[in-house]
Amino acid sequence: MADEVKVDKTLDVRGEICPNPDVRTLTTLEKMEKGQILEVLVDYPLSVERIPKNVENRKHKVLKVEKVSGPEHRILIEAKANK
Amino acid sequence: MDPLILTGIPVGLAFGFALQRGRFCMNSAFRDIIVLKDYALLRTVGIAILVSMIGFAIMDKTGVISINPVPFFWGALMLGGFIFGIGMVLAGGCASGITYRFGEGMVGAMSAVAGLILVGLMTTMGVFHPFVTLLRGATTITLADGSNLTLANVLGIPYYILALAIAGVALILWAIFAKRGKKGEKEEKEQVSLSERIFKRGWGGTATGIVIGLIGIIAFYASASSGRMYPLAICGGYWSTTNTLISAANFMNWLSWMLVFTIVGSFLAARIAGEFRLRAPAPKTIIQTFFGGCLMGFGAATAAGCNITHILSGVPQLALSSLLAGAFIILGCWTLAYFMFIRPMRGL
Repeated sequence: MADEVKVDKTLDVRGEICPNPDVRTLTTLEKMEKGQILEVLVDYPLSVERIPKNVENRKHKVLKVEKVSGPEHRILIEAKANK
Repeated sequence: MDPLILTGIPVGLAFGFALQRGRFCMNSAFRDIIVLKDYALLRTVGIAILVSMIGFAIMDKTGVISINPVPFFWGALMLGGFIFGIGMVLAGGCASGITYRFGEGMVGAMSAVAGLILVGLMTTMGVFHPFVTLLRGATTITLADGSNLTLANVLGIPYYILALAIAGVALILWAIFAKRGKKGEKEEKEQVSLSERIFKRGWGGTATGIVIGLIGIIAFYASASSGRMYPLAICGGYWSTTNTLISAANFMNWLSWMLVFTIVGSFLAARIAGEFRLRAPAPKTIIQTFFGGCLMGFGAATAAGCNITHILSGVPQLALSSLLAGAFIILGCWTLAYFMFIRPMRGL
Protein backbone atom coordinates (compact mmCIF):
# COMPACT_ATOMS: atom_id res chain seq x y z
CA MET A 1 0.00 0.00 0.00
CA ALA A 2 1.43 3.33 -1.01
CA ASP A 3 1.35 5.53 2.02
CA GLU A 4 2.47 8.87 3.28
CA VAL A 5 3.76 7.18 6.43
CA LYS A 6 5.55 3.93 7.15
CA VAL A 7 3.42 1.47 9.11
CA ASP A 8 5.32 -0.23 11.91
CA LYS A 9 2.64 -2.66 12.97
CA THR A 10 -0.72 -3.88 11.69
CA LEU A 11 -3.56 -5.01 13.89
CA ASP A 12 -6.30 -6.95 12.10
CA VAL A 13 -9.42 -7.06 14.24
CA ARG A 14 -11.93 -7.56 11.44
CA GLY A 15 -14.91 -9.66 12.52
CA GLU A 16 -14.04 -9.20 16.18
CA ILE A 17 -16.74 -8.59 18.76
CA CYS A 18 -17.25 -5.68 21.08
CA PRO A 19 -14.99 -4.35 22.64
CA ASN A 20 -12.01 -6.41 21.41
CA PRO A 21 -11.05 -3.99 18.60
CA ASP A 22 -10.86 -1.10 21.09
CA VAL A 23 -9.07 -3.00 23.84
CA ARG A 24 -6.53 -4.58 21.49
CA THR A 25 -5.82 -1.26 19.83
CA LEU A 26 -5.13 0.39 23.18
CA THR A 27 -2.99 -2.43 24.57
CA THR A 28 -1.00 -2.68 21.33
CA LEU A 29 -0.36 1.08 21.28
CA GLU A 30 0.83 0.93 24.86
CA LYS A 31 3.51 -1.62 23.94
CA MET A 32 4.80 0.45 21.02
CA GLU A 33 7.56 3.06 21.02
CA LYS A 34 6.74 6.74 20.84
CA GLY A 35 6.29 7.83 17.25
CA GLN A 36 5.69 4.35 15.80
CA ILE A 37 2.70 3.92 13.51
CA LEU A 38 -0.06 1.39 14.13
CA GLU A 39 -2.44 0.38 11.38
CA VAL A 40 -5.79 -0.99 12.61
CA LEU A 41 -8.09 -2.89 10.25
CA VAL A 42 -11.58 -2.90 11.77
CA ASP A 43 -15.10 -3.56 10.50
CA TYR A 44 -17.16 -3.14 13.65
CA PRO A 45 -18.96 0.22 13.25
CA LEU A 46 -19.10 1.16 16.93
CA SER A 47 -15.34 0.67 17.27
CA VAL A 48 -14.68 2.68 14.12
CA GLU A 49 -16.38 5.60 15.88
CA ARG A 50 -15.02 4.89 19.34
CA ILE A 51 -11.36 4.07 18.68
CA PRO A 52 -10.29 7.55 17.44
CA LYS A 53 -11.89 9.22 20.46
CA ASN A 54 -10.41 6.87 23.05
CA VAL A 55 -7.01 6.77 21.42
CA GLU A 56 -6.75 10.56 21.48
CA ASN A 57 -7.86 10.57 25.13
CA ARG A 58 -4.83 8.42 25.90
CA LYS A 59 -2.34 10.75 24.19
CA HIS A 60 -1.93 8.86 20.95
CA LYS A 61 -2.55 10.62 17.66
CA VAL A 62 -5.01 9.55 14.98
CA LEU A 63 -3.44 10.24 11.60
CA LYS A 64 -6.15 8.88 9.38
CA VAL A 65 -9.48 7.06 9.38
CA GLU A 66 -10.05 5.64 5.95
CA LYS A 67 -12.95 3.64 4.59
CA VAL A 68 -11.70 0.57 2.75
CA SER A 69 -14.94 -1.07 1.62
CA GLY A 70 -18.32 -1.77 3.23
CA PRO A 71 -17.95 -1.64 7.02
CA GLU A 72 -14.19 -2.11 6.80
CA HIS A 73 -12.01 0.81 7.88
CA ARG A 74 -8.30 1.41 8.21
CA ILE A 75 -7.14 3.62 11.06
CA LEU A 76 -3.59 4.92 11.28
CA ILE A 77 -2.38 5.93 14.73
CA GLU A 78 0.89 7.40 15.92
CA ALA A 79 1.72 5.85 19.27
CA LYS A 80 2.24 8.14 22.25
CA ALA A 81 2.54 11.19 20.01
CA ASN A 82 1.36 13.54 22.75
CA LYS A 83 2.98 11.86 25.75
CA MET B 1 -54.90 -14.43 14.37
CA ASP B 2 -55.50 -10.89 15.55
CA PRO B 3 -54.26 -8.67 12.71
CA LEU B 4 -53.20 -6.09 15.30
CA ILE B 5 -50.22 -8.25 16.26
CA LEU B 6 -48.81 -7.30 12.86
CA THR B 7 -48.27 -3.74 14.09
CA GLY B 8 -45.16 -5.32 15.59
CA ILE B 9 -43.72 -5.31 12.07
CA PRO B 10 -43.36 -1.53 11.56
CA VAL B 11 -42.30 -1.07 15.19
CA GLY B 12 -39.66 -3.76 14.78
CA LEU B 13 -38.40 -2.23 11.53
CA ALA B 14 -38.05 1.17 13.19
CA PHE B 15 -36.48 -0.30 16.33
CA GLY B 16 -33.93 -2.33 14.37
CA PHE B 17 -33.11 0.64 12.19
CA ALA B 18 -32.56 2.89 15.21
CA LEU B 19 -30.52 0.26 17.08
CA GLN B 20 -28.13 -0.15 14.17
CA ARG B 21 -27.78 3.54 13.36
CA GLY B 22 -27.44 4.51 17.01
CA ARG B 23 -25.25 1.48 17.94
CA PHE B 24 -27.60 1.09 20.89
CA CYS B 25 -26.12 -1.53 23.18
CA MET B 26 -26.33 -1.57 26.95
CA ASN B 27 -23.43 -3.97 27.31
CA SER B 28 -21.23 -1.31 25.75
CA ALA B 29 -23.00 1.40 27.74
CA PHE B 30 -22.34 -0.17 31.14
CA ARG B 31 -19.01 -1.77 30.35
CA ASP B 32 -17.49 1.31 28.74
CA ILE B 33 -17.97 3.35 31.90
CA ILE B 34 -15.38 1.25 33.67
CA VAL B 35 -13.33 -0.17 30.79
CA LEU B 36 -12.91 2.81 28.45
CA LYS B 37 -14.20 5.58 30.74
CA ASP B 38 -16.61 6.42 27.94
CA TYR B 39 -20.06 7.63 28.98
CA ALA B 40 -21.57 8.32 25.57
CA LEU B 41 -23.82 5.26 25.28
CA LEU B 42 -24.86 5.40 28.93
CA ARG B 43 -26.17 8.90 28.30
CA THR B 44 -28.10 7.60 25.29
CA VAL B 45 -29.69 4.86 27.40
CA GLY B 46 -30.62 7.44 30.04
CA ILE B 47 -32.32 9.68 27.49
CA ALA B 48 -34.29 6.77 26.03
CA ILE B 49 -35.51 5.78 29.50
CA LEU B 50 -36.58 9.36 30.32
CA VAL B 51 -38.43 9.87 27.03
CA SER B 52 -40.29 6.58 27.50
CA MET B 53 -41.05 7.46 31.10
CA ILE B 54 -42.78 10.68 30.10
CA GLY B 55 -44.79 8.89 27.40
CA PHE B 56 -45.79 5.99 29.62
CA ALA B 57 -46.88 8.40 32.38
CA ILE B 58 -49.14 10.35 30.05
CA MET B 59 -50.58 7.23 28.41
CA ASP B 60 -51.19 5.56 31.77
CA LYS B 61 -52.90 8.64 33.15
CA THR B 62 -55.14 8.98 30.08
CA GLY B 63 -55.99 5.30 30.11
CA VAL B 64 -54.40 4.46 26.75
CA ILE B 65 -52.29 1.79 28.45
CA SER B 66 -51.89 0.67 32.00
CA ILE B 67 -48.43 0.03 33.29
CA ASN B 68 -47.71 -3.62 33.85
CA PRO B 69 -44.64 -4.17 36.01
CA VAL B 70 -42.91 -7.57 36.13
CA PRO B 71 -43.61 -9.32 39.47
CA PHE B 72 -41.05 -8.75 42.20
CA PHE B 73 -39.60 -12.27 42.58
CA TRP B 74 -36.37 -10.92 43.97
CA GLY B 75 -34.41 -14.17 44.04
CA ALA B 76 -35.02 -14.84 40.33
CA LEU B 77 -34.43 -11.20 39.41
CA MET B 78 -31.08 -11.04 41.19
CA LEU B 79 -29.80 -14.41 39.98
CA GLY B 80 -31.12 -13.99 36.44
CA GLY B 81 -29.94 -10.40 36.15
CA PHE B 82 -26.43 -11.19 37.35
CA ILE B 83 -26.01 -14.18 35.04
CA PHE B 84 -27.44 -12.20 32.13
CA GLY B 85 -24.92 -9.42 32.85
CA ILE B 86 -22.01 -11.87 32.81
CA GLY B 87 -23.37 -13.47 29.66
CA MET B 88 -23.59 -10.25 27.71
CA VAL B 89 -19.92 -9.45 28.30
CA LEU B 90 -18.97 -12.87 26.89
CA ALA B 91 -21.46 -12.46 24.04
CA GLY B 92 -20.10 -9.00 23.22
CA GLY B 93 -23.53 -7.41 23.35
CA CYS B 94 -26.79 -7.11 25.23
CA ALA B 95 -30.05 -8.48 23.85
CA SER B 96 -30.52 -5.48 21.56
CA GLY B 97 -26.79 -5.36 20.72
CA ILE B 98 -26.54 -8.94 19.47
CA THR B 99 -29.85 -8.53 17.63
CA TYR B 100 -28.82 -5.51 15.58
CA ARG B 101 -25.37 -7.00 14.91
CA PHE B 102 -27.09 -10.19 13.72
CA GLY B 103 -28.72 -7.92 11.13
CA GLU B 104 -25.33 -6.33 10.40
CA GLY B 105 -23.94 -9.76 9.50
CA MET B 106 -21.68 -10.33 12.50
CA VAL B 107 -21.32 -14.08 12.99
CA GLY B 108 -20.20 -13.64 16.59
CA ALA B 109 -23.60 -12.09 17.36
CA MET B 110 -25.45 -14.85 15.50
CA SER B 111 -23.86 -17.55 17.63
CA ALA B 112 -24.79 -15.56 20.74
CA VAL B 113 -28.40 -15.48 19.54
CA ALA B 114 -28.28 -19.26 19.00
CA GLY B 115 -27.18 -19.77 22.61
CA LEU B 116 -29.80 -17.35 23.88
CA ILE B 117 -32.55 -19.24 22.08
CA LEU B 118 -31.37 -22.71 23.12
CA VAL B 119 -30.87 -22.14 26.84
CA GLY B 120 -33.75 -19.65 27.00
CA LEU B 121 -36.12 -22.39 25.82
CA MET B 122 -34.53 -24.87 28.23
CA THR B 123 -35.32 -22.40 31.00
CA THR B 124 -38.80 -21.25 29.95
CA MET B 125 -40.10 -24.75 29.21
CA GLY B 126 -37.35 -27.34 29.63
CA VAL B 127 -35.03 -28.78 32.23
CA PHE B 128 -34.43 -25.56 34.17
CA HIS B 129 -38.08 -24.61 34.27
CA PRO B 130 -38.99 -26.32 37.59
CA PHE B 131 -36.05 -24.64 39.33
CA VAL B 132 -37.02 -21.19 38.07
CA THR B 133 -40.68 -21.71 39.02
CA LEU B 134 -39.61 -22.74 42.50
CA LEU B 135 -37.24 -19.80 42.90
CA ARG B 136 -39.85 -17.30 41.72
CA GLY B 137 -42.55 -18.79 43.93
CA ALA B 138 -40.34 -18.71 47.01
CA THR B 139 -39.23 -15.09 46.60
CA THR B 140 -42.26 -13.20 45.28
CA ILE B 141 -43.37 -10.09 47.16
CA THR B 142 -46.52 -8.18 46.21
CA LEU B 143 -48.62 -5.46 47.77
CA ALA B 144 -51.41 -6.57 50.10
CA ASP B 145 -53.89 -6.35 47.21
CA GLY B 146 -51.69 -8.58 45.09
CA SER B 147 -50.45 -5.90 42.70
CA ASN B 148 -46.84 -5.86 41.53
CA LEU B 149 -44.47 -3.46 43.23
CA THR B 150 -43.46 -0.18 41.68
CA LEU B 151 -41.60 2.70 43.22
CA ALA B 152 -44.88 4.62 42.95
CA ASN B 153 -47.24 2.23 44.72
CA VAL B 154 -44.67 1.42 47.41
CA LEU B 155 -44.31 5.13 48.17
CA GLY B 156 -48.03 5.68 47.76
CA ILE B 157 -47.65 8.30 45.03
CA PRO B 158 -49.62 8.10 41.76
CA TYR B 159 -47.39 6.64 39.05
CA TYR B 160 -47.77 9.48 36.56
CA ILE B 161 -46.84 12.13 39.14
CA LEU B 162 -43.73 10.31 40.30
CA ALA B 163 -42.67 9.44 36.74
CA LEU B 164 -43.09 13.00 35.49
CA ALA B 165 -41.32 14.36 38.58
CA ILE B 166 -38.33 12.06 38.07
CA ALA B 167 -38.18 12.89 34.37
CA GLY B 168 -38.47 16.61 35.14
CA VAL B 169 -35.68 16.60 37.71
CA ALA B 170 -33.47 14.57 35.39
CA LEU B 171 -34.06 16.97 32.51
CA ILE B 172 -33.21 19.99 34.66
CA LEU B 173 -30.01 18.35 35.91
CA TRP B 174 -29.13 17.38 32.36
CA ALA B 175 -29.67 20.93 31.12
CA ILE B 176 -27.33 22.24 33.82
CA PHE B 177 -24.60 19.68 33.14
CA ALA B 178 -24.93 19.97 29.37
CA LYS B 179 -24.33 23.70 29.62
CA ARG B 180 -21.28 23.20 31.78
CA GLY B 181 -19.84 20.52 29.51
CA LYS B 182 -20.13 22.70 26.40
CA LYS B 183 -17.89 25.45 27.72
CA GLY B 184 -14.64 25.58 25.82
CA GLU B 185 -15.67 22.67 23.64
CA LYS B 186 -15.43 23.40 19.97
CA GLU B 187 -18.17 21.83 17.91
CA GLU B 188 -17.26 20.92 14.40
CA LYS B 189 -20.22 21.64 12.20
CA GLU B 190 -19.95 19.85 8.94
CA GLN B 191 -22.38 20.51 6.14
CA VAL B 192 -24.09 17.18 5.69
CA SER B 193 -27.52 16.59 4.17
CA LEU B 194 -30.28 15.24 6.38
CA SER B 195 -30.63 11.99 4.44
CA GLU B 196 -26.88 11.44 4.65
CA ARG B 197 -27.10 11.93 8.39
CA ILE B 198 -30.02 9.55 8.82
CA PHE B 199 -29.05 6.80 6.44
CA LYS B 200 -25.28 6.89 6.10
CA ARG B 201 -23.75 8.08 9.34
CA GLY B 202 -23.94 6.81 12.89
CA TRP B 203 -26.52 8.82 14.82
CA GLY B 204 -25.56 11.08 17.69
CA GLY B 205 -26.35 9.93 21.21
CA THR B 206 -29.13 12.42 21.92
CA ALA B 207 -31.00 11.66 18.69
CA THR B 208 -30.68 7.93 19.26
CA GLY B 209 -31.96 8.20 22.83
CA ILE B 210 -34.96 10.28 21.82
CA VAL B 211 -35.86 8.05 18.86
CA ILE B 212 -35.58 4.83 20.86
CA GLY B 213 -37.57 6.36 23.73
CA LEU B 214 -40.31 7.35 21.25
CA ILE B 215 -40.32 3.89 19.68
CA GLY B 216 -40.78 2.51 23.20
CA ILE B 217 -43.88 4.68 23.62
CA ILE B 218 -45.35 3.66 20.25
CA ALA B 219 -44.48 0.04 21.02
CA PHE B 220 -46.42 0.14 24.28
CA TYR B 221 -49.48 1.55 22.53
CA ALA B 222 -49.30 -0.84 19.57
CA SER B 223 -48.59 -3.88 21.68
CA ALA B 224 -51.39 -3.03 24.14
CA SER B 225 -53.84 -2.70 21.24
CA SER B 226 -53.05 -6.29 20.29
CA GLY B 227 -53.68 -7.46 23.84
CA ARG B 228 -50.07 -7.64 25.03
CA MET B 229 -49.75 -5.05 27.79
CA TYR B 230 -46.00 -4.42 27.66
CA PRO B 231 -43.63 -2.23 25.64
CA LEU B 232 -40.41 -3.34 23.94
CA ALA B 233 -38.72 -6.62 24.74
CA ILE B 234 -36.43 -8.97 22.84
CA CYS B 235 -35.88 -12.45 24.23
CA GLY B 236 -39.49 -13.58 24.40
CA GLY B 237 -39.70 -12.84 20.69
CA TYR B 238 -36.83 -15.21 19.91
CA TRP B 239 -38.41 -17.96 21.98
CA SER B 240 -41.95 -17.67 20.62
CA THR B 241 -40.68 -17.47 17.04
CA THR B 242 -38.45 -20.52 17.51
CA ASN B 243 -41.30 -22.38 19.18
CA THR B 244 -43.47 -21.66 16.17
CA LEU B 245 -40.75 -22.90 13.82
CA ILE B 246 -40.09 -26.17 15.66
CA SER B 247 -43.64 -27.12 16.63
CA ALA B 248 -46.89 -27.33 14.70
CA ALA B 249 -48.56 -24.66 16.81
CA ASN B 250 -48.51 -20.93 16.17
CA PHE B 251 -46.93 -18.97 19.00
CA MET B 252 -46.44 -15.79 17.01
CA ASN B 253 -47.56 -12.75 18.98
CA TRP B 254 -46.91 -9.02 18.70
CA LEU B 255 -43.42 -9.43 20.17
CA SER B 256 -42.47 -12.26 17.79
CA TRP B 257 -43.24 -10.12 14.74
CA MET B 258 -41.54 -7.14 16.27
CA LEU B 259 -38.37 -9.13 16.98
CA VAL B 260 -38.12 -10.72 13.55
CA PHE B 261 -38.50 -7.34 11.91
CA THR B 262 -36.02 -5.74 14.30
CA ILE B 263 -33.40 -7.97 12.68
CA VAL B 264 -34.74 -7.00 9.23
CA GLY B 265 -34.66 -3.31 10.20
CA SER B 266 -31.04 -3.56 11.34
CA PHE B 267 -30.13 -5.40 8.17
CA LEU B 268 -31.72 -2.67 6.03
CA ALA B 269 -30.05 0.09 8.04
CA ALA B 270 -26.65 -1.58 7.72
CA ARG B 271 -27.20 -2.33 4.05
CA ILE B 272 -28.18 1.25 3.19
CA ALA B 273 -25.21 2.63 5.12
CA GLY B 274 -22.85 0.15 3.47
CA GLU B 275 -22.10 -1.48 6.82
CA PHE B 276 -23.50 -4.92 6.11
CA ARG B 277 -21.08 -7.78 5.61
CA LEU B 278 -20.98 -11.36 6.82
CA ARG B 279 -17.92 -11.37 9.02
CA ALA B 280 -16.64 -13.77 11.61
CA PRO B 281 -14.18 -13.52 14.49
CA ALA B 282 -11.75 -16.30 15.44
CA PRO B 283 -13.46 -19.68 16.15
CA LYS B 284 -12.59 -19.32 19.82
CA THR B 285 -14.58 -16.08 19.95
CA ILE B 286 -17.59 -17.70 18.26
CA ILE B 287 -17.63 -20.36 20.99
CA GLN B 288 -17.27 -17.65 23.62
CA THR B 289 -20.22 -15.63 22.29
CA PHE B 290 -22.33 -18.81 22.02
CA PHE B 291 -21.60 -19.56 25.66
CA GLY B 292 -22.34 -15.94 26.56
CA GLY B 293 -25.65 -16.22 24.72
CA CYS B 294 -26.47 -19.37 26.71
CA LEU B 295 -25.96 -17.48 29.97
CA MET B 296 -28.06 -14.60 28.64
CA GLY B 297 -30.83 -17.05 27.75
CA PHE B 298 -30.82 -18.57 31.22
CA GLY B 299 -30.61 -15.15 32.86
CA ALA B 300 -33.39 -13.54 30.84
CA ALA B 301 -35.72 -16.51 31.24
CA THR B 302 -35.08 -16.60 34.99
CA ALA B 303 -35.47 -12.85 35.54
CA ALA B 304 -38.49 -12.70 33.19
CA GLY B 305 -36.68 -10.33 30.90
CA CYS B 306 -33.49 -9.08 29.35
CA ASN B 307 -32.04 -5.59 29.55
CA ILE B 308 -34.70 -4.28 27.16
CA THR B 309 -37.64 -5.69 29.13
CA HIS B 310 -36.20 -4.49 32.41
CA ILE B 311 -34.03 -1.44 31.79
CA LEU B 312 -35.60 0.14 28.71
CA SER B 313 -39.23 -0.87 29.35
CA GLY B 314 -39.48 -1.68 33.07
CA VAL B 315 -37.47 1.15 34.62
CA PRO B 316 -39.68 3.84 32.97
CA GLN B 317 -42.65 2.05 34.57
CA LEU B 318 -40.74 2.41 37.86
CA ALA B 319 -41.10 -1.34 38.42
CA LEU B 320 -39.12 -2.42 41.48
CA SER B 321 -38.49 -5.75 39.76
CA SER B 322 -36.86 -4.04 36.80
CA LEU B 323 -34.81 -1.69 38.97
CA LEU B 324 -33.46 -4.71 40.87
CA ALA B 325 -32.88 -6.84 37.76
CA GLY B 326 -31.27 -3.85 36.03
CA ALA B 327 -28.90 -3.30 38.96
CA PHE B 328 -27.85 -6.95 38.87
CA ILE B 329 -27.40 -6.92 35.09
CA ILE B 330 -24.98 -4.02 35.56
CA LEU B 331 -23.26 -5.77 38.46
CA GLY B 332 -22.79 -8.94 36.42
CA CYS B 333 -21.49 -6.92 33.49
CA TRP B 334 -18.96 -5.07 35.65
CA THR B 335 -17.81 -8.21 37.44
CA LEU B 336 -16.78 -10.01 34.28
CA ALA B 337 -15.60 -6.86 32.50
CA TYR B 338 -13.20 -6.33 35.38
CA PHE B 339 -11.57 -9.73 34.88
CA MET B 340 -11.70 -9.75 31.08
CA PHE B 341 -10.67 -6.20 30.27
CA ILE B 342 -9.73 -4.01 33.20
CA ARG B 343 -7.12 -6.25 34.78
CA PRO B 344 -5.37 -6.99 31.46
CA MET B 345 -5.48 -3.27 30.58
CA ARG B 346 -4.18 -2.09 33.90
CA GLY B 347 -1.58 0.64 33.63
CA LEU B 348 -2.94 2.09 30.40
